[in-house]
Parts: sequence; C-alpha cells; structure tokens
Amino acid sequence: MSDTVNDTIPATGLLERRGAMRQLEGQITGCTISRDSQQVAFATGEGDIAVADRADWGQSDAWNVMTVHDGAILAIAPDAAPTGFLTGGDDNALRRVAADGSVSDLAKGRRWVEHITTWSNGKGGVIAFSSGKQVELRDADGHTTLKVLDHPSTVSGIVFDAKGKRIAASHYNGASMWFVQAKVDTVRPLEWKGSHIGIAIHPAGEALVTSMQESELHGWRLSDGHNMRMSGYPSKVQSMAFTRNGKWLVTSGADTIVMWPFFGGGPMGKPPAEAGGLPGVMCTRVACHPVHDIVAAGFADGSVLMADTGAQRILPVCIGGSGAVTALEFSPDGCCLAFGSEDGRACVVDLSAK
Amino acid sequence: MSDTVQASPDAAAQNTLVPVTVLTGFLGAGKTTLLNHILTAQHGRKYAVVVNEFGELGVDNDLVVDADEEVFEMNNGCICCTVRGDLIRILGNLMKRRAKFDGIIVETTGLADPAPVAQTFFVDEDVRGKTRLDAVVTVVDAYNVIQTLDESPEAVNQIAFADVIILNKTDLVDEVALATIESRIRSINAVARLHRAQRGDVPLSDVLDQGGFDLQRALEHAPRFLEDTSHSHEADVTSLSYEVEEPLDAAKFQAWIGAVLQEQGADILRAKGILNYAGEDQRFAFQAVHMMADGGFIGPWKEGEPRVSRLVFIGRNLNRPQLRRGFESCRAK
Repeated sequence: MSDTVNDTIPATGLLERRGAMRQLEGQITGCTISRDSQQVAFATGEGDIAVADRADWGQSDAWNVMTVHDGAILAIAPDAAPTGFLTGGDDNALRRVAADGSVSDLAKGRRWVEHITTWSNGKGGVIAFSSGKQVELRDADGHTTLKVLDHPSTVSGIVFDAKGKRIAASHYNGASMWFVQAKVDTVRPLEWKGSHIGIAIHPAGEALVTSMQESELHGWRLSDGHNMRMSGYPSKVQSMAFTRNGKWLVTSGADTIVMWPFFGGGPMGKPPAEAGGLPGVMCTRVACHPVHDIVAAGFADGSVLMADTGAQRILPVCIGGSGAVTALEFSPDGCCLAFGSEDGRACVVDLSAK
Repeated sequence: MSDTVQASPDAAAQNTLVPVTVLTGFLGAGKTTLLNHILTAQHGRKYAVVVNEFGELGVDNDLVVDADEEVFEMNNGCICCTVRGDLIRILGNLMKRRAKFDGIIVETTGLADPAPVAQTFFVDEDVRGKTRLDAVVTVVDAYNVIQTLDESPEAVNQIAFADVIILNKTDLVDEVALATIESRIRSINAVARLHRAQRGDVPLSDVLDQGGFDLQRALEHAPRFLEDTSHSHEADVTSLSYEVEEPLDAAKFQAWIGAVLQEQGADILRAKGILNYAGEDQRFAFQAVHMMADGGFIGPWKEGEPRVSRLVFIGRNLNRPQLRRGFESCRAK
C-alpha cells in the first residue's frame, strides 16, 4: 500500500489491509474491470477515468488518470475484447479506452450515451449502448452497426442474457426483449404500467426483473410471462444483481442487503432474506461474486461490506468516512473488488490468495 | 402522498440544494428570448438548461440538455399524479457534475401542463434530496393573452401554477389594456409576482433565486385579494386566500388539508401557506400541487411581525365558505 494514502483509509476492514484508495476529482459514476481481470477502471462526473493495472492495485499513485469525455461519464463497461473499456458520456459520445490508454471514438449522436453493456464468449462479442430511446448493437470491433432498436420512451437500462442471444431494455410501461441475431426485429413486449428505471436478467434466463420508480421491483417469468412483484422498499432500488447460480436476486434500496429467493417457487409469495446491513444507513450498490457465494454491498455513508449468502457472516471492507457508494464491482475472476463514492474516492481491494 | 404532509429538509439543508427554475409560457410568448437573456447576462453564474426543442437556443452553453418531456403516471392511487420521469433522470445525471453550475433552468413546451414538472419535485427522493423547485416562471404575451386564456385551458394552468409571471410584449398594448390583462391574470392567480417586460428584458433578480419556498413574500399581498369576491362566480380557475389569527393545531391542520387534497386534489392546482403552529416559534411553510403536499419549518417570525396563518388555494370549483370553515376549524383550542 502506498504511504501517501495510508492515513486517509478508515482503519478497519479489508480495504486497509489489502487495498488502496485514490481521491479523484468529482463523483465516481461507475467502475468496471476488464474481461481479462487485469485492469480496473473508474469513471467520474468530470469526464475522467482512472485505470489501475493489476500490478498497481496496491499502489494508487501509479494509477493512470486521463480525460476521456467533455462532461460527465454516464456509463462504463468492459470492452467485448479481453482488454480495454467503453465509456459513454453526456457529450453524446461512445469512446473506447484501450489497455495502453489510447482513446478512440466509436459513436457520436444527439443524445447522452447513458447505458453500455457488452457480451463475449471469448470468440465473438457484441456491444450494446443506449442513447435516448434507441439501443444500438455493434459488432465487437465497435464500428459495425448490427441493428438499431427503437423503444417507446427513453431507455433506462439494458442487459444481455448469459448466452448473448437476447437483449432486454427497460423503459416506461415495461421492458422490451429482442433477439440479437434476428434478421427481422420483432420485439417481445413485457408490459407493466409505470416508470421502470433499471433491469437485470436471471443467469439461466428464467426471469427478467426491473426496478420501478415506486420503490419496488417488477419481474416477468420468461417461460410464460407471469408477473412477479417484489415490494416493501423504503427507497428506490438503484442497484441489483443475480448471484452466479441465479438462486438470489440481491438488491439495494433498504438498510440491509435484500435478497429475493429465485428457487422453491420464489420470489412469488416468499419474503426476501436479509444478508446483514447497517442500521439506518441505506444500501446504494450491490455486486455478486462470480465464483463464491458472496455479495458485496455499498452504503450511503461510504461503507462497504461483504456477506456470505449462505452463512450469515459479514466482512467489513471499509466502514463509513465518505459520501455514498456509487459504484461497486467484482472482477470476472473474483480476485478484485472495486468501488467508488459520490465524493470521489476510488478504491481497489485485492482478494487474491497471497 | 395525499394523506401525509412530508417534511422537507430543514432550512440549512435547503440552502445547499440546487435551485431549479421552471420556465413555462405559451407558444410565442417569449420563453426562448427570456432564456437567452438569462444566459447571456453578466451575472457570474452558470446555469444548466433543460430544453425541449434543441437548436432553438441561440446561445453557446455547454450545459444544454435536450429533453423529450416524458410523462408517466405514478402507480400510487392518485388519479392526477403524473410525473416527468425524464426530468428525474436528467437532474440525477446533472448532479453528477454538481460543481459545474449554480442552478438549473427547465423550459417546458408551450402546451405543457406544469403539474407533472412541479410534481416531480415532490415524488422523487433523489430529486428532493439534491434540488429544490425555486419558482415556476410563466411568460405571458400581453398582445395575445386574453384570447389565449379564452381558448386554452393549458394557458390558464400555466398562469395558475406560476410563482412569477412575466407579462411580456407590453409595448404592443396600451395602459388600459394592460390593466385589463393584469386584472384577468390576478383573477386566476392572486399571489404570483407579476412583472412587465418588453422582449424579455426583466431584471434577473425578478426571475432567478426567488426562494420559492419562502412563501412569506409571495403571500404578502394576498390579503388585498382576500375579500375580493368579484370573481367568485367563475367556475374557472381562481385564487382563494384565507387568514387565521389564532395559532393552529398542527395535527388538525394536517388532517384537514390531507382530506381536502384527497377529495379536491384534482381541482386544486396549487396551495401555499405560511402557518403559525401553536407552541412553535418558527414559521411553517406548506405547499401542494394537486394531491401532493410538502412542508417544513422555515425559520422564526420576524420581530414585531403579526403571527398570522395564511393559506392560498388556486384551482377550479372551489367552495369558498367551506374551505374557510375548514381552515378556521384548525385553530388550537
């Protein structure tokens, strides 16, 4: 760990022992890890990204900070390739940041690029990004447009299924599902009145879930379109993620980590489980570990916890001390937890065996 | 919503919230001219602007956001609870670069009903936590306004919703006509601040930083209209203003206003009040848009200021004596 940041990291938890922190300008709007798990990237409201190479995860002064957008970065995702990142901003641009730090333009439109998601099976891949009511799909090269999908209102979230066969977008009055490779685009409309503000898909494709303005979740069983309703939150659900095996849907929106069971007939008629939390402090971000039954959760006071979904064990990563956690991700190999806060703290925790 | 008067952040927190000015006005009234005037004036402040027709703005401003005015209906049982979901999203994203501007201006299309914009500031926790509705500013074209009001309920709503009315193009009509126009506007909205202008040339202090929540100023001249019953025959939008000199019982008021908004929220476009609660040294500011209400303490009464509770309703089909009796029944015993 770098000496320069030692005194500013809360002296409790995993961050102090196995992590590093860097204070960036502006809010951290997102973070992600490249597909090869070798680089962590943080995006900010000032248009910058900070990239940490694996060798420097404990040396935050070695992280490379550069300006990528003229305005806030609204979306960041790993590139469809093994290395590099894609960013979208309120300068209406979609850009690629290669592993060597070079930046190139992929698209420039008339609306904010608010959501980016990519899919890859190691051989081929697809890039999707949303801008206003449109979702554009591109080949992994980033330049070949495969299709442009129109929606009835502004898209608030996009997600590929695990096999990359379908893409779903949330918007007013429900979600739209499309086949990525279809020659003729026919939408599968999943309708439910109201404003849907985020989306997640079950890893085995069993269900599609959206977050709603009314502080609840709505879901559709994809086999028959059966509606599911998950409510009782004190605030909006800004973050949700399925565990790797699809057993649980983990969400923010309460002062505990809320987990809906997607087994044994659930979530219909089943109460959610709670995997620990901080009394009176809202959970703002969640992430699921790709290998183990572990979830991470970020809170409104800057705290980050890890919890075991089976045993009721909690491991503090850092406790308090800053603005709300606004970004939180595990690396694909599970060796890294990255998170960032509203007041510009960018943190990397090395979880690998040493 | 309708049954609870939500507490706002306290006065200190209000100051850290980003002020949002909503600019409405009928087609051709001069909204864009006023907006350009605001953005080019030398006031040393930066504004992010949310517009609906991109390209119309002739000013170079890197914080212009094109919006689609996407309205949706909240799923909470309120029949008239429509909200600008796009605005929730845009304000949320703008707040990611909070340090870049001092305030936000939201321009609506000419035909827009101001209710969904105003209601957005009541329903969304994140919007409430970071921004405050400073004022609804309505630009009115003096030359066409009478005809527009006769023909279009949207124009009446825009005046009814206003905290500030800019009566523009006054050079196109004479003083007699202006008096008629102002009287017509006053019959709809008795409490908005009214400013005359030509080509949008109003002092910015009349438009920005109105402190919409400090209703005291807005209600100062309300008593003058108190007993003006000459317009009460209108089934159309009117203002009703009430005063109670004795302290009010907070619980009684909340129960009463909750029931009023629940039953007549569709007809009540706006309600505002400064209340003197028994046993409280601070003024309580109350405001509502249709069924949604909001309130909070806004600091102590001034030295020597009469501690009078004032309440104004702007709406349709309002029963003057019934509302008066209801308000008076909230007196603390």
